Amino acid sequence: MVSATIEVRNKSGLHMRPASELSRIARQCRSNIIIRSGEKLVNPKSILVLMSAAIKKGTVVTVECSGETEEQDLETILHAIASGLGEGVDETA
Amino acid sequence: MNIWNDGKIASEGYASGPAFIVQRDERPACTDKIREEEIEEEILRFDQAVETGVEQLRKLLEETQSLPVGQAGNADIFAGHLEILTDCTLYEEVTGRIRRDLENVQMALQLSADHFAAAFEAMDDAYMRERADDVRDVERRLMLILQGVEETAFHTLRETSVVVAADLTPSDTVRMNMDLVAGIITEKGGVTGHVGIIARNSGIPSLVCVGPILSKIRNREQVLLDAERGSIITSPDRETQEKFCRNAAAYRDLCKKAKENADLPCITVDGRKLSVCANAGSPEEAEQAAAYSVDGIGLFRSEFLYMRQRRFPTEEEQFEAYRSAVRSMGGREVTIRTLDIGGDKGLDYFQLPKEENPFLGCRAIRICLKRPDIFKTQLRAILRASAFGRVRIMFPMIAWVEELEKALEILNVCKKELREEGKLFDEGVETGIMIETPAAVILAQELASRVDFFSIGTNDLTQYMLAADRGNPEVAPLYNPFHPAVLRSIHHVIRAGHERHIPVGMCGELAGNIEAARLLLGLGLDEFSMSAPSTPRIKQELRAANYGEAVGAAAEALKSPYTILG
Repeated sequence: MVSATIEVRNKSGLHMRPASELSRIARQCRSNIIIRSGEKLVNPKSILVLMSAAIKKGTVVTVECSGETEEQDLETILHAIASGLGEGVDETA
Repeated sequence: MNIWNDGKIASEGYASGPAFIVQRDERPACTDKIREEEIEEEILRFDQAVETGVEQLRKLLEETQSLPVGQAGNADIFAGHLEILTDCTLYEEVTGRIRRDLENVQMALQLSADHFAAAFEAMDDAYMRERADDVRDVERRLMLILQGVEETAFHTLRETSVVVAADLTPSDTVRMNMDLVAGIITEKGGVTGHVGIIARNSGIPSLVCVGPILSKIRNREQVLLDAERGSIITSPDRETQEKFCRNAAAYRDLCKKAKENADLPCITVDGRKLSVCANAGSPEEAEQAAAYSVDGIGLFRSEFLYMRQRRFPTEEEQFEAYRSAVRSMGGREVTIRTLDIGGDKGLDYFQLPKEENPFLGCRAIRICLKRPDIFKTQLRAILRASAFGRVRIMFPMIAWVEELEKALEILNVCKKELREEGKLFDEGVETGIMIETPAAVILAQELASRVDFFSIGTNDLTQYMLAADRGNPEVAPLYNPFHPAVLRSIHHVIRAGHERHIPVGMCGELAGNIEAARLLLGLGLDEFSMSAPSTPRIKQELRAANYGEAVGAAAEALKSPYTILG
């Protein structure tokens, strides 16, 4: 298993649109992926679970990937979150 | 000919045409349990329904992307629905209920959707709570597919029509050819709901929350929709039709003129300057009001914050809503009325004792003084919002000087707390009261020396002064704000206010009544506050009036023991 932490910097947190984008990307990954946000364990492949977690701007999350392509998948997820999931990031944060 | 006057105006204007009735045949979910050997077959049904749903949504998404920018926001909604539809957790939830609990697919779907919708509804964030509607929309789509019900045949909308529906979802509105929609009428829904937003964005007149009407209108029956005054007429006679056309034409002219004159201040021909404000029931309505170049929000009803949810709103939630209203008005004043529940307005989560006469019972300020915890949360939120513009605080239903003093005392405690916490607010925030009880009229002088402004609430004042329930059709003819006792009360209150050099406004229906404008001007009213769509007309009327003449005419009118108008 590989993991890394990252701050969610979307202006509106993981609302419908960015959550939709993240779950689409996560589903293209073959690894098992878990996002830890505080106490919560979130499966990013499910938009319902992802939105229910109500992850806000400024939250630091841990992304964990396990499976044959874990290195590559972790990279993909981190890159997606860092780039703001199609929404752009708030530079003033 | 049938007439309805119950709807709420979601988007103003006039529309006429044949009715296009949106029928929905969705049935309740089948409750039968299945046998174990039927499990795989039931799951296959779900798979197929999802597949059909995906096809429908992909098509919708394509159609949406070719729409004008105003409605392009829907593309995001459908992309989200597509994700929910194919969501792995939803799939596990539904198939789990089929396998484990032997639920049939319809029931499994309904229970699963309930589960996710409830999770969203429990969230703090208003945006996330509304996502429960997306889950419901997806559920409805799958349910219709599972029940073999065709989606509403919007492609049969071929001529300009007035669309009549129980409610409309985003999926519906995107499939209607908006060029052929003259007006929209819905039984349910609120002004700030989806239909209202789409209607306003597209400039389509619309009445929502009309109540049961579908069963009383035939498809293609002629409908007149007056979304300026809020009425619907079916199969009109010639006279009604002609009157409607005249009103519609006058409205069009007025809009044109009002637009040209929107930014002009409201000054009578002989130089008296008046303030014309809008009443608003939510931050969205405040934002709309700003487009009418009003002088401020004369009545910001705070009840929506309490009625929208299942618990008391937090200080933060209220603060956000007030601040948003204050910001949308720029530096113009926003008068926020503290909680006015009781009477005909209840809250599901706050059991008021059952009362014989709720309008004479525990309502508005009376509840707030009994529950200072609820009151303080609101006052703190309003005070904090005052740091972002010009806020005035207004207490409703005052009948005793003691009530006002107690309310002001609690307000001072809140100010002190905020100062200690280092939170910002406007130290000069003005406070005032609504004059709506006969007691407040008679004590107007004493009350005036304790506040910065008055606002006369004519709806309640009329019913209390005349002892005539405004909701009771039996006494409807007795409920008349032009009754000399009401007019003399208004005059008395205005004089008492002016003796103490405080401005007197009015935020009841009477303030937006074109017939009353010159009379109220003559009585000396300083501020007129009404629904935003009525402001251009009233401004026009006041600009054309002569204050000196109006004073003379009002003095004459006050002498009469008979009702002069109305």
